[in-house]
Amino acid sequence: MSRKRTSRRKAFAAGLLAGAVVLAVAASQSFAGGSSHKSAAASGVIVDGTTDTVVNIDPANQYDYGSFTLDLPLFQGLYGFPNGAKLKPVLATGCKASASLKTWTCALRHGVKFADGTPMTSADVKWSFDRVNKIKGDQGIYTLLSNLKNVTVSGQYTVVFHLKTAQSTWPLILSTNAGYVVPKAKYPFNKILPNTSPQVGTGPYQLVKFTPGQQAVLKANPNYWGPKPKNSGIVINYYSKSSTMKLALAKGEIDMAFREFTPTELTSLRKTKGVVVHEGNGVVIRYLVFNVTRPPFDKLAVRQALAYLWPRQTIASRVYHGSVQPLYSMVPAGLPGHIDAFKSAYGASPNVAKAESVLKAAGVTTPVPVDIWWTPSHYGDASADEYTEIQRALNASGLFKVTLKSAEWAQYSGALGKTYGAFQLGWFPDYPDAEDYEVPFFQTGNFTNNGYSNAQMTSLITKEHGAKTIEARLAAIKAIQVLSAKDVSMIPYWQGKMIAVSRSNVHGVDSTLDAAFYMRFWLLSKS
Amino acid sequence: MAAQGTSLRKYLLTRLGLVIPMVLILLTIVFLLMRVAPGDPISASLGGHAPQSVINQIKHQLGFDKPLYTQYWDYLSGIARGDFGTTITDHRKLTDIIKVNGAATLELTFFAMLIAVAVGVFVGLVAGRFRDTPLDVGGRLFGIVVYATPVFFLGLMGQLVFGVWLNWLPTSDRASPITQATFQTHTDIFTLDAIIGGQWSALGDIVKHLILPATTLGLATAGIFIRLIRVNVIRTLKDDYIEAARARGITERSVVYHHAFKNALVPVITIVGLNMALLLGGAVLTETTFNWPGIGHALVTYLENRDYTAVQGIIVVFALVVVAVSVLIDFLNAYIDPRIRY
Repeated sequence: MSRKRTSRRKAFAAGLLAGAVVLAVAASQSFAGGSSHKSAAASGVIVDGTTDTVVNIDPANQYDYGSFTLDLPLFQGLYGFPNGAKLKPVLATGCKASASLKTWTCALRHGVKFADGTPMTSADVKWSFDRVNKIKGDQGIYTLLSNLKNVTVSGQYTVVFHLKTAQSTWPLILSTNAGYVVPKAKYPFNKILPNTSPQVGTGPYQLVKFTPGQQAVLKANPNYWGPKPKNSGIVINYYSKSSTMKLALAKGEIDMAFREFTPTELTSLRKTKGVVVHEGNGVVIRYLVFNVTRPPFDKLAVRQALAYLWPRQTIASRVYHGSVQPLYSMVPAGLPGHIDAFKSAYGASPNVAKAESVLKAAGVTTPVPVDIWWTPSHYGDASADEYTEIQRALNASGLFKVTLKSAEWAQYSGALGKTYGAFQLGWFPDYPDAEDYEVPFFQTGNFTNNGYSNAQMTSLITKEHGAKTIEARLAAIKAIQVLSAKDVSMIPYWQGKMIAVSRSNVHGVDSTLDAAFYMRFWLLSKS
Repeated sequence: MAAQGTSLRKYLLTRLGLVIPMVLILLTIVFLLMRVAPGDPISASLGGHAPQSVINQIKHQLGFDKPLYTQYWDYLSGIARGDFGTTITDHRKLTDIIKVNGAATLELTFFAMLIAVAVGVFVGLVAGRFRDTPLDVGGRLFGIVVYATPVFFLGLMGQLVFGVWLNWLPTSDRASPITQATFQTHTDIFTLDAIIGGQWSALGDIVKHLILPATTLGLATAGIFIRLIRVNVIRTLKDDYIEAARARGITERSVVYHHAFKNALVPVITIVGLNMALLLGGAVLTETTFNWPGIGHALVTYLENRDYTAVQGIIVVFALVVVAVSVLIDFLNAYIDPRIRY
């Protein structure tokens, strides 16, 4: 009996020892420096980190920036921003509008193949648009096609879009992910392809592997019709916290990071050896929305006084350390038609005297008690500092007594104008054009539920939409900005730069930082 | 003997039978809490971008405007059919999350438990054996410190010391990005998959990434074991049979390790089981600190986005794991001690 027990003990100990030896040898191999990261350097694969998340890869239901960044190298539309912020034909060679601007006829590029080698034809284009409207996915991308009546084809290389109303900016819609072309044979008509199914597009990369919440692996598309990418592949690593991503970048575990570090982290990274912080024009904005039907914001004088006092410069410098710039219009600087409408109306810096004067003229008793809402869980950790600074500046004027209130995003996003009188929001465009910074905000019944309605504004929007010349369109865009500053249903206050951080051996990052806000991975290389 | 076997079977069946109402109650509470909490997954996803009419339309499409009892019945009948549903925010099947993310958590908690038991037993034994000596004081102090320190703080310190200052270990993820990109998975338990596939350099990379998070989580749990084993060793060493063994001339080493120690470990089995719940809770914080893609990490993300289906499903999984372990422990105790019966 004791002999049996002893041999059992020996066998158990031997098993434990064997397991420990296996793990130790394997670990030592890795410690000794067969680092897989070194093989990444040799192979030209670029590893990118991000705190964005991927909701849907199938473009028919993709409407968030994390999914967009992944889709951009995989799919293409008839138009796009292949280099820089200028709209150019991509899968189309050009589109012509009818005189009424309600019919757009597009000629497709010949010789384009999907990543699986099948040729792209007009049938695929029609299929792609029709399925977006059929599926009506829960992410809401189909709303971008709300003006599309139907799509017809003429031969293999001509597609005709029939619109409900005149729209001079239809090619911009074709550049959004609502217009990404997918193969008819691979994408079902009435449902979304799951993220774990193979995805097929015409872009410079194909998706090799996708592990939700962890990693996306892309390799160069051998059937790509355009110039080859400057690297052999991309690995996108997903992080839940920017601090963890910062550590990984500083240690060289990843080559670059795009979206999103806090201002403090960026300041630290600027001083980190071997790391470069790249900045370019951005189009993300932050703004405060007023519910113009809810006291005290139903008084124009109150809104105008706040506009006179808004501390844009201190927010940009003190809170964001220069990574954002003050914004004086809902249309960001750098987009055609932008004017500093709020600067013209209310000045570049806070002006207490003018604010006081406008309140006095309206018979408003000061200090005016106001509640301002913000959210800590959607727009980054700096939101707390941002709104503390706003409160400080407004209270210091003696004209307002600000109470800050916050709610986490899931609750906040459902309340907005239905519950709050003044609240923080941010905006990232569907397409980098002034129209996308005006129509969503100033139409009657806009998504903020802020009760704003102005017949003159509605008329200007219609004019802009159907403008037949660029001059007429730009004139309407400018008029909308002037009127928005006068009505002050919203106060824009900062415009973010497009920022990416990389190790110093990664090249080409600066070439992709522009107002299109595209991370064009195919332009990046590693030495 | 036969009567004892029947009684044990009855005990086990009763314990298993109680699982169903337990899980049902938990599910109902979670269902109600998620719907009572302000916010919903559609507004969280589209709010701040899409018009209210679109949000309402999608809510209607997904049935969120149905009466609560209808939504509850739909959910329960789905569970009964084995359909845990698909997440609302990123359209993943719950079974996929349980498989992929659950495997990551299983790997982390398994190695963490090994470390917890190894450290806890060793330090507890030494502290108990050398009572009231510097070894005992040091052991107790160590146990209190690791128990009291928040697990995420332990993790951050580990990252700072071993990841940044010494640059010995990676600070996040299950493996380096290229390893993960090229790794072939079978079970989603990376260590096991690397051994099955003979991917030895990948195994080394995976083990390296496992050290910090597993040690962090293991140490946080080891504090309980240290104190428990120390107390048990001290108590056992005072027992009459130990005195008798000493009187028979058995060496002190043999008395401690072959007699006292084994008996001191018996209650530890129960504590190991009960600590599964603690470990799963600690795993949530550890996974977030180390970007470990486990089920706890996924739960936090889905909770923030009010993803009803995901949160309900994951909490049910957590509950089933804890319940399964506690039933197993109860069964083991009932097997060992015939007095434990209904």
